[in-house]
Amino acid sequence: MSELPPPRMVEAFEHAAGSIAVNVPGGATGWKGVLLNIHVAPAASYEMEELQEARCVAGRGIEGDRYFHGTGTYSPKPDTREVTLIEQEALDALNRNDPPLQGGKIQLSPGDHRRNLTVRGVPLNHLVGRRFRVGEVILRGGRLNFPCKYLEELLGMPVYLPLYNRSGLNCGIERGGLIRPGDAIEMMD
Amino acid sequence: MTARIIMKLRVESIRASTPEVAHIGLVHPLRPELPEWTPGAHVDFRLPDGKIRQYSLCGDPSDRSRYEVAIKREDQGRGGSKWVHENLALGTIAHVSAPRNNFPLAPGATRHVFVAGGIGITPFVAMARALAAEDRDFTLHLCARSAEDAPLIGLLREICGEQLHCWFSSEGRRFDPRVLGGPSEGTHIYSCGPERLVGSLQAALDLAGWPSEQIHIERFAATLDENFKPEPFEALIESTGQTLHVPADRSLLDVLREHGFTLSSSCEIGVCGSCECGYRDGVVLHRDSSLPLSKRQDRMMPCVSRARVHLTLAL
Repeated sequence: MSELPPPRMVEAFEHAAGSIAVNVPGGATGWKGVLLNIHVAPAASYEMEELQEARCVAGRGIEGDRYFHGTGTYSPKPDTREVTLIEQEALDALNRNDPPLQGGKIQLSPGDHRRNLTVRGVPLNHLVGRRFRVGEVILRGGRLNFPCKYLEELLGMPVYLPLYNRSGLNCGIERGGLIRPGDAIEMMD
Repeated sequence: MTARIIMKLRVESIRASTPEVAHIGLVHPLRPELPEWTPGAHVDFRLPDGKIRQYSLCGDPSDRSRYEVAIKREDQGRGGSKWVHENLALGTIAHVSAPRNNFPLAPGATRHVFVAGGIGITPFVAMARALAAEDRDFTLHLCARSAEDAPLIGLLREICGEQLHCWFSSEGRRFDPRVLGGPSEGTHIYSCGPERLVGSLQAALDLAGWPSEQIHIERFAATLDENFKPEPFEALIESTGQTLHVPADRSLLDVLREHGFTLSSSCEIGVCGSCECGYRDGVVLHRDSSLPLSKRQDRMMPCVSRARVHLTLAL
């Protein structure tokens, strides 16, 4: 196997989306959320594994994750993918087939959606161009996450359309540190 | 070709089916159910050095709790089976993909004839089990040195009963493709085993006039073509207009990978079908043994197949 290139990350506020959003005011404030689950995958296509504690490294990612190591499916393409988040509320909506875009409800558990952090009470779609903290770690929202056909294939479930516009957030890490399920999530600015 | 999840499965049972064949049962340490599969499917084993090897599932497709594979130790092989035999034991973890089926039962067939050589029996165990359960018409020819060297023979006798025909060379019984007779509508012939068996079977069936749609062959290794001389060519990426140069000593898959195109891939010898991709124009030199003839006009396997001078890829 050839050596993999080191991961090439785009700093969140330099991303095509984040760089615009950072200069546009607005979005929800005053909310307080919680980190429910942490998942990483050791390499592309591997099942996600749950962690009770994870180290976030600024400019790089979550230790042990495929995008930290540069072994992810999309690693060759420079982007903001140090940490990805998804709302538990989006998974709840899929599980009640809401809106009814597909045959029936889809049960997508935190270990299956392939985003790193499952969070509750965090309006992720408002956080592009914003700074927020997860426990002691500070994240920067770089762009909205986008569902991919690859995920559908891996799961064998029709999740592409149902996840559209609620697929989560891709972030950069401004300040690294340890995170654990139960950590509070809050706006910084 | 679809992406497949890779799981860390635990070896739940392991026993010697023959002196050279390990029959291995695998379960998921956390999930009660494994991804579904159909008879003829295989899984990929990912070895620590990055190598990937395919093994047919030989268990019961209706039992979602476990996968079974039977792996023959091939000391002269490419190292995969040797690793399995030396490293897998009860309780160890193997990195295994979700199943894929490149060798399914033909849906319209009314009669199925299987010809297996040695460890090539593995895909037919599940096929025979499924057909026997539905009381469908099938015959299984098993070629091996002796009963002691025939993998899974006890299980096969149980599943197949009278439908199992053993050809043991130690008893002077050698399989002759002529026993299959001439073409017969609704009958499909499947073969898996060493090249000398499937090659001679294919030749005999061609000679007897069997239509290629009724013959299904799964090979252990890519077709040998020692005389093939790779030439450099240019590949145009349709979506971006980018032109990539593929030197004589590198594969198209390799060059695509270097330029950030992440096609899934597995065996990289043209047998597994993982890296299949579409092309628009150009003369493609198909060198795989996975794509059916009917798909070769616009699909190719970039791990081994090349092009004459130029081609346009539907990427």
